[in-house]
Amino acid sequence: MLINHRRVLQLLAALLLLLIAFPAFAEDVASSHKPVTVPNPATDLWRAVNPQQLPPAQAAMFPRGGSQVQGVQSGVLINQQGQSWRHFRMKQLLPTGGYLLAGAMLAVLLFYFIRGKVLIRDGESDKKIERYSVYERMIHWFMAFIFLFLGFSGLILLFGRSLLLPWMGPELFSILASAAKEGHNLFGPLFLLALVLMFLKFVIRNIYQKGDLTWLLKGGGIIGEHDVPSNFFNMGEKTLFWLLIIVGGLIAISGVVLLFPVFEQGRGIMELSHVVHAIAAVIMLTVIIGHIYIGTIGMQGATEGMTSGYCDLNWAKDHHSWWAQRCIDEGKVLPKQQSVDGHTDNPDSASREGVQ
Amino acid sequence: MARMKFYCDAERCIECNGCVTACKNENDVPWGVNRRRVVTIKDGEAGERSLSVACMHCSDAPCAAVCPVNCFYTTDDGLVLHDKDICIGCGYCFYACPFGAPQFPEDGAFASRGKMDKCTFCAGGPEEDNSAEERRKYGSNRLAEGKLPLCAEMCATKALLAGDASVISDIYRKRVVNRGASVLDWGVSYQKASLRSSKGMKGKATMEE
Repeated sequence: MLINHRRVLQLLAALLLLLIAFPAFAEDVASSHKPVTVPNPATDLWRAVNPQQLPPAQAAMFPRGGSQVQGVQSGVLINQQGQSWRHFRMKQLLPTGGYLLAGAMLAVLLFYFIRGKVLIRDGESDKKIERYSVYERMIHWFMAFIFLFLGFSGLILLFGRSLLLPWMGPELFSILASAAKEGHNLFGPLFLLALVLMFLKFVIRNIYQKGDLTWLLKGGGIIGEHDVPSNFFNMGEKTLFWLLIIVGGLIAISGVVLLFPVFEQGRGIMELSHVVHAIAAVIMLTVIIGHIYIGTIGMQGATEGMTSGYCDLNWAKDHHSWWAQRCIDEGKVLPKQQSVDGHTDNPDSASREGVQ
Repeated sequence: MARMKFYCDAERCIECNGCVTACKNENDVPWGVNRRRVVTIKDGEAGERSLSVACMHCSDAPCAAVCPVNCFYTTDDGLVLHDKDICIGCGYCFYACPFGAPQFPEDGAFASRGKMDKCTFCAGGPEEDNSAEERRKYGSNRLAEGKLPLCAEMCATKALLAGDASVISDIYRKRVVNRGASVLDWGVSYQKASLRSSKGMKGKATMEE
């Protein structure tokens, strides 16, 4: 009995030991049959040369490789901004820009049908005031044609592949796109010149003044019954001016960076310039759609100032009442009949400078 | 069809620039352009490695995605080629490419970019194979003659591999296995005795049972 009892205990103990030992044993068996993991040296290398896989702080300090091939960034094996730029252009700029521009045109159209043309309240008068000298009109139209040309040629490069290429065919579209690109490059610098001329000529009258905030708060009087008094330029026109100078300036500067890839500027700078160029251009085009609308079909008497140089007295009273009043006080109101005779030379243009 | 790829074995590349020269000569590459270049990292330091890089003929090529005139096309061999008659030289592919493959000859007035030039995998362009026109615009069309790109064919250490992706990845995989990690990680092969050979494994890393 005693022996049997002992034997049972021994058996139990052995069983217990086996149970404890078995997982360890099983693990040992498994490890001997584990597949060999051979590290691929290239993975470490590609990780090391791709700054995208590094934290931003390290990526900035990323050591550039060297190359016997001379060139800007020829030692950079992987340009990490390339993919972000692609994402910006294809996934952000194209849809957002497209919807924004189409939306702006649709909004203008809707506005025309809802609000209608802004008419001169008391109708056209038989008196006129000189608004823009020949030189001022020349600057405006110089800017306008340059802007529209650059705008359309830029839009061809941006949306042409999706909108024009399918029905024009690759050969024909290539000719158009090539012309757009060459024209854009050739006439681009003239935009900078137009911008400088416009700034010098119009800056004084576009400095924000007392009353501009009221104009803004009343929405320029375009919705309400009454127009809000303003000077030679109202708050909206001043804002357009400053948008053109600042946003247009960004377009011009970024454009120059892109136009002359000979100053050792790397791809990162050029991609950034393109992003600035595109965003600024889309903003400016959207704004200009509104400007063209209100300057042509949106308002009675608005185009005359920029075409003939003279505006209707009642129009001036409606939209620039303080300026109109000063012109009346200074005796600068002319009868309309004389416009045929006195059209070519404008003796008043110099003195009108003081009227703001 | 095959899917053509380049692969550069950094353990073998000795930065001789033979591939660069071969490419330049074979394709009459325009002045100022090198379709292929060798990049060396950690030059003169421990862990120095060189890689020969050109167009990688991406499956989802950024150059083709951003091209405003859609001048890129992918051949049946998986090569990303472009049509110089359609290209307008805008430079967008140059911004988008991660590898700096598309380049522009700087010969125009006011630094205007000419037609883009890039590695063709020695497969020419859309013109008739080995025509004079194709030769002038894109260089050699070795693929049409049943040959592989000259850069890889001339590589002295066979670091640069070119060909069907499955074939060259097999070659490279065999190399990696045969090196058995011993070149890079001494600890694995000399200290850890648990390393065992797997079936079909040959070469230096094989250990006796």
